[in-house]
Amino acid sequence: MADGEEYQSLVDDEDDGDDDVSRHLSPLCDPRHLLHRVLVLLFMCFLGFGSYFCYDNPAALQTQVIQDMSLNTASFMQLYAWYSWPNVILCFLGGFLLDRVFGIRLGTIIFSLFVLLGQIIFAAGALANHFWLMNLGRFVFGIGGESLAVAQNTYAVNWFKGKELNLVFGLQLSMARLGSTVNMNVIGWVYGRIQAMTGSAGHTTLGITLMIAASTCLFSLICALVLGFLDRRAEKILKKEQGKTGEVIKLTDVKDFPFSLWLIFIVCVAYYVAIFPFIGLGQVFFIEKFSFTTVQARAINSVVYIISAPASPLLGFLVDKTGRNILWVMLAVVTTLLSHMMLAFTFWNPWIAMCLLGLSYSLLACALWPMVAFVVPEHQLGTAYGFMQSIQNLGLAIMSMAAGSILDNKGYLFLEVFFIACLCCEYIDNISCLTSRRR
Amino acid sequence: MWTFRESLICSLLFGSAFGFLGNGDTFRRKVSLELNPGLKPPSSLPPGAVLVHARGLGLNDTLHFLLCNRGAPALLLVHTNSTESAVRLDWPEFINRSSSGSLRVEPESSVTYSSALVFTRLWEYDDVNNTADPQKTAESSFYPPYELQNFIWSDLNGTVNQSDHMITLCGREKSESFLNGSLCLKFSVFESAGREQAWPSLLHNGNSSQLRVWLEGVTPRGNDSRFALEFQSVGDSGFQGRVDVRSSIDDEYTPSIFKVSQWVSFPLNSSGAWGFSQWKPVAYRKPEPVFEDATPCRHSPLVSVSRVPPSALVRAYFRDDLQIHGLNISFGIDKDPVFYSDTRYVSWTVLIGMGEPPADAFSTLIIIIIAVGLGTPLAIIIVGGVFVWVRKRVTHGSVYEPIN
Repeated sequence: MADGEEYQSLVDDEDDGDDDVSRHLSPLCDPRHLLHRVLVLLFMCFLGFGSYFCYDNPAALQTQVIQDMSLNTASFMQLYAWYSWPNVILCFLGGFLLDRVFGIRLGTIIFSLFVLLGQIIFAAGALANHFWLMNLGRFVFGIGGESLAVAQNTYAVNWFKGKELNLVFGLQLSMARLGSTVNMNVIGWVYGRIQAMTGSAGHTTLGITLMIAASTCLFSLICALVLGFLDRRAEKILKKEQGKTGEVIKLTDVKDFPFSLWLIFIVCVAYYVAIFPFIGLGQVFFIEKFSFTTVQARAINSVVYIISAPASPLLGFLVDKTGRNILWVMLAVVTTLLSHMMLAFTFWNPWIAMCLLGLSYSLLACALWPMVAFVVPEHQLGTAYGFMQSIQNLGLAIMSMAAGSILDNKGYLFLEVFFIACLCCEYIDNISCLTSRRR
Repeated sequence: MWTFRESLICSLLFGSAFGFLGNGDTFRRKVSLELNPGLKPPSSLPPGAVLVHARGLGLNDTLHFLLCNRGAPALLLVHTNSTESAVRLDWPEFINRSSSGSLRVEPESSVTYSSALVFTRLWEYDDVNNTADPQKTAESSFYPPYELQNFIWSDLNGTVNQSDHMITLCGREKSESFLNGSLCLKFSVFESAGREQAWPSLLHNGNSSQLRVWLEGVTPRGNDSRFALEFQSVGDSGFQGRVDVRSSIDDEYTPSIFKVSQWVSFPLNSSGAWGFSQWKPVAYRKPEPVFEDATPCRHSPLVSVSRVPPSALVRAYFRDDLQIHGLNISFGIDKDPVFYSDTRYVSWTVLIGMGEPPADAFSTLIIIIIAVGLGTPLAIIIVGGVFVWVRKRVTHGSVYEPIN
């Protein structure tokens, strides 16, 4: 990054007064300086940490939740359903609210509050031994969680567009993965300690554990406050108005989204469908097809996420340096296709395929999401990201059910072939993406 | 990329070839089912005992299946190269002593191959370490096995299905564990190639019959009880046995199961199989299973047995000079959280027949999806590539024209 370029950071039309101000600021406090952006990035990353940490609390405590609340697997899965289904609409709304009503700063703080509140209700439900309250908690948590991700994306574009944007998206992805990995490894241990302290396992133990998990949400809320302050300060110093361009945004703007944005949406859905449902259903596949033990199967299943944590910032950096996001997305799709074909049609060591899958997943995530910022005007960014998240949620919810029933009736080969077909559709979509951009 | 495409094309070609072979297996037998053939009063079998004879008439051969639950339940397969061969029973002798020769298939010179499968014991063990592997379980963890020869079988009323060539036998032990429980065998004979709707949907043909064994409602003797089924194969001494496990990438007929185990018997001087027992290493924990109700199973190594199994059928048919081998099938997998006590049901299916065991092939649907799914992007790449190349040539031509 050249220095000259950096100075265009948040300023489109330079004012004379700015130079005076910046002379008195150390690089860390100067909104135009790289160092300051790194500081902002730090808070931006930890903004999502709490929600990613708490999102997978139920999965990490699956046996304990089922036992303590005396549930069966189906009712346990409701905890995820109550998070996901409302989000099909809500995070679209959340994006719109960010753009139109609250503005990014207030919006982020409100969503962080929702996340914290939801987790507290969730924990309270466990303490009081009311499962409906836990579901309500997940619902409230969901309202905040997904919209918070939208806010995070919008913040990233506001601060980093035209600079290290791909890298930033990569970093955010790795923070998300870090959040869930830390959760998976730590929360069971926390539960064990509390069980040892209280002397018995039960819904109270579960409740206390979840309350402790809520502290990560509080931490994220603090990040949101700091970020809001820094953003306001930067705006004052740089005399940049926050998301106000004079244009009024309406929900009906959606129909005026450029064609290439719709293509990006389709890429997003078709790709994630071939990743997440497979990881969700993959354990038995590795046990049966490759004679893995349960432990090995769990390990190989999580390797995609483990790889993506360090790989996505690196790959993001690479994409930043080279540009050409679409070609990178295409490459990611092709390598994903290859790894699914390896899994489906060969008995090759599945570690090869899964590592490849992890790399291509990180590459896609950090090349695809910033593309939205190139095709949508800045004042619609929140709406666009919210819509993308909505469509992704909808696609995943529907396709997960489809994948489940394909597996139930036709088995893994058929499921893999279904994923391969999805990826092929995506590849075609990608090509039209490329040609529509060329025009 | 190339190797991938090649292997894919290969698999497509092979798949479709096999698929058509599989679909085109038009070999049929005329199957008829008979209970206790030739049994007339005053001779009678003890209550519950029955001898089922299934006769499969081919163009120039006959395949006899005999199922009998006098003693340990057994299925005897006899292949003859005559269309006239018949089963002869000396009933009083068979009922009283089951001495050798009281059951014959005549003319004896037409018999080309015979073998029997006997279910001898049901093992129950306390799986304290949750390994689901009886081989790794201490002997002290085993409960006394249920001897299937001591089972009391219910009468056949209503369990004979002549049109589908199916018969179900259910038996129980005298102990309290079997108060509400039973061990059942569903025997099916097939006229031609096909699959059962119910999992594991083994591919069968006119040369095979199928036994589904299930254990329902038995009170386990411990909370962590798991079961294993012991069975033995009896054959003429000129044959030897081997258990092969074959892997396949295709699990569309039995979701999540990629292996098939086959216990083949072949003559000492050749390797071609004459007879087989084939099963997929899966058991189901519900009568109408969904995906989660499948549990893997495991078989122990083949061991040679010297004692003739306590089955009337085997004793009455075979002369001396026998080859007897046994193995156990155990249900469950290492760290499997579900024990027998959770569902009180487990079922397992085995296919028994002569000749080579049938082999699965890709279904036409999957081949079409692969062909369309991969063909379209490939076609687009090629067409697109040609298009770009042509356009480049055209524009290049126009660019360089003035210079020329």
